[in-house]
Amino acid sequence: MKLAICLAGIFMIAGSSFAAAGDLDRFEGVKGTLRIAGGTAHIPVMKEAAKRIMTANSDIKITIAGGGSGVGIKQVGEGLVNIGNSGRKATDDEIKRYGLKMHKFAIDGIAVVVNPKNPVVKMKKSELMDIFSGKINNWKTLGFKDRGINVYTRDASSGTRKVFWKKALNKGKIIKSANFVKSHGAMKSAINVDPYGIGYISVGYLDDTVGPVSLDGVSPTLENVLKGDYKIARGLYMNTKGEPSVLTRLFIDYIMSKKGQKIVEDKGYIAVGK
Amino acid sequence: MNRFVEYQIKLFCWISGIILICTIGILLAFLLHKGFSSLNLPLIFGETRPLDGLFLKTRVVDGLFPAIVGTLLLILTSIIWAIPTGVAAGIYLAEYCNEKWKPGFNLLLDILAGIPSILIGLFGFAVSVFLHKHLSEHIYPCFLISSLALACLVLPYIIRTTEQSLVNLPFFIKTTGLALGASRLQNILLILIPYNLSRIISGIILAIGRCAEDAAVIMLTGAVAMAGIPDSLLSRYEALPFYIFYISSDYNSQEELMKGFGACIILLLICVFLFALSHILKRRAAKRFAIHI
Amino acid sequence: MKPSIEKLAEKGFLFSALFSVSITILIFFFMVFFSFPLFKGGDIAKFFTLEWNPYESGFGIVPMMAGTGIIALLALLIATPFGIGCSALISVFSTGYFGRFLRKVVEFMTGIPTVIYGFVAIFLLVPFIREIFEKGTGMCVLSASIMLALLILPTIILFISNAFNAVPKNYLDAADSLGATPAQKLVYIIIPLAWKGIISALVLAAGRAVGDTLISLMIAGNALQIPKGLSDAARTLTAHIALIIASDYESPEFKSIFVCGLILFIFTTLIILALRLLGYLKILRNR
Repeated sequence: MKLAICLAGIFMIAGSSFAAAGDLDRFEGVKGTLRIAGGTAHIPVMKEAAKRIMTANSDIKITIAGGGSGVGIKQVGEGLVNIGNSGRKATDDEIKRYGLKMHKFAIDGIAVVVNPKNPVVKMKKSELMDIFSGKINNWKTLGFKDRGINVYTRDASSGTRKVFWKKALNKGKIIKSANFVKSHGAMKSAINVDPYGIGYISVGYLDDTVGPVSLDGVSPTLENVLKGDYKIARGLYMNTKGEPSVLTRLFIDYIMSKKGQKIVEDKGYIAVGK
Repeated sequence: MNRFVEYQIKLFCWISGIILICTIGILLAFLLHKGFSSLNLPLIFGETRPLDGLFLKTRVVDGLFPAIVGTLLLILTSIIWAIPTGVAAGIYLAEYCNEKWKPGFNLLLDILAGIPSILIGLFGFAVSVFLHKHLSEHIYPCFLISSLALACLVLPYIIRTTEQSLVNLPFFIKTTGLALGASRLQNILLILIPYNLSRIISGIILAIGRCAEDAAVIMLTGAVAMAGIPDSLLSRYEALPFYIFYISSDYNSQEELMKGFGACIILLLICVFLFALSHILKRRAAKRFAIHI
Repeated sequence: MKPSIEKLAEKGFLFSALFSVSITILIFFFMVFFSFPLFKGGDIAKFFTLEWNPYESGFGIVPMMAGTGIIALLALLIATPFGIGCSALISVFSTGYFGRFLRKVVEFMTGIPTVIYGFVAIFLLVPFIREIFEKGTGMCVLSASIMLALLILPTIILFISNAFNAVPKNYLDAADSLGATPAQKLVYIIIPLAWKGIISALVLAAGRAVGDTLISLMIAGNALQIPKGLSDAARTLTAHIALIIASDYESPEFKSIFVCGLILFIFTTLIILALRLLGYLKILRNR
């Protein structure tokens, strides 16, 4: 009888740990520090994953910094961080120079956003290009108040800017008076407080504090990105220099696992595998 | 000068004084109004139980605790670098330096005191890049680099207060010990420095305040948005000023913004406390002089 | 104590002093070291152009120099009258309760962290400025200058009021005995005697204003243009350094921030030399 209870107990313990295997258990017994930097669209996913891992295993330390895709690629290339995130593919030159390995873990769209009080919720792509180049500089032209348009953009190290510039602006000019912000979060809060602003952020960051603008009749939703109707989309990558170390490998595996991909979806991106 | 112009001048002075006080009043009132409600234990410890977090049993993930500890550790480490060097250099300038060299020392120190903090940060960053390339793969912007850079930032303050507190001593105090047969070093270490210790300490506390408030240096030398409590000199870390800067643009929700206001109040309290302490000590030092002279 | 310890201690003191001043030289050396390849390659002219666009190899930092100059100058323009007014109030008109209170407030201001000024300004001043101008984002030259003025005011006020207090008492007594009013004393005696102090305070404050990073980074908008009006966004050299810092270490944009650094270093040196010329550095060191 005693034996039976013992056995049942063992099975139960084994069973419960089995259920969790493939997720956080793999980090057991691993020690060390993992440094992550780069693309800011990635931060919500990275933060959530890091939080879970660090809660499960207090011997692991994960530091997360932003900086933009360019920074991510350069820092991982220089060996300053273990994982360099980027919101664009690394260029051939970068891959060759640093020996980078890319790990695509999510797909993301880039949405044009305005203040939620702004009634302009759709525009043509040509109009968007004119706004960013400064040809259209008043909201009146688009049927809103007679106020100047405040263009917000990201700095040169941003992968989002590069993708947006290529796919939405067709490599057009961005007006010099544009305000610079450092991250997606910063873009969102800037647009949220500026009734006359226009900018662009990752679809994952969309919520009711900003108003998404549909381009040529296609709204920037995950479905449209998935279907391929919304063209301003890109992959989100974790880059490592050569073969990743144990902890780095485990972290990447975790992000790629079911639980990890669930975080990706929860944070508003499209999981890869889909 | 006719009465009218006089009146105008007086009025102008009063108005500018009142505007200044009102501005600062509004600023503080706004900060308190916004941030007061967020001042509670979850602000600091997040979802972790406060005592567990405080004794490092459980890691605090959501709260300000790592940033506060980061700031305090940073201050402590920087001061450990800066005090011995600064006091020693101050003693040298006051007691040993010959007149031929003094202008050169003074010029370089004045420039160092005037250099924008972002340049000190850039310097720290450049040094870490340089060391990373030429010395060791393991060196990158980190806690150590930040604390050294901050030490550079405050070094001139400590040197100057030490120097001044020695130079300005009354002649009879400077010479009594020597007349009684003390050596030069004994005179400095056992009489002059203890005599004016509170002035030196006030300078050091002022330096601590500078370390606590500076954001430009640390954002270039290793402070990050999320790192936990630093466990080695070579790790990255969180700090309050950087957290406030980060939240100011990157807040994702109203709660995060409120945490930013809470962080502002905490940082303000730390800094104002330090400045007040420094001020009181300086007063006391000044009073002591008044009695003796 | 043994003579050998005396000698050793003296060496230690000397070493500390040499180490401290060598930091200044090292900083200068590093700025030159990292920007030197640009000077050598004859590319330096490229940096003194108007266009910053790293994609198409435009590395002009002139807009940032202009932004720094304009914002700092404007901050000084705003702060100077307030500074003189408040100092006069403290040292001349209201030596009683209010003057002491004002001085306490100003001393308190020196303890407020810069980042807090920036943080509050984003949520208090910026929306206000945006509605006043009815154009632009509110993140502009004017917002940054106002906050910067607030930041440098304590320096100006404390310095000037010290200079006012340093006016020899027998001059003031003489004026009193001739029946001069406080305003007359201020205009005819104190200001003429303390003008060097006022200029020094402003030069010192200019150094602070140019060197500040956080306020301009947080509320000046960081646009890459030469601002044409008060409501235009601008970027300062310091903010530019903070924004570009983490790029590729081999790239020209990374090297160009050391050119910015070098400019700031030279500017600081000039400020210090100017203060020396005015002979007011001693007061500064005594503070």
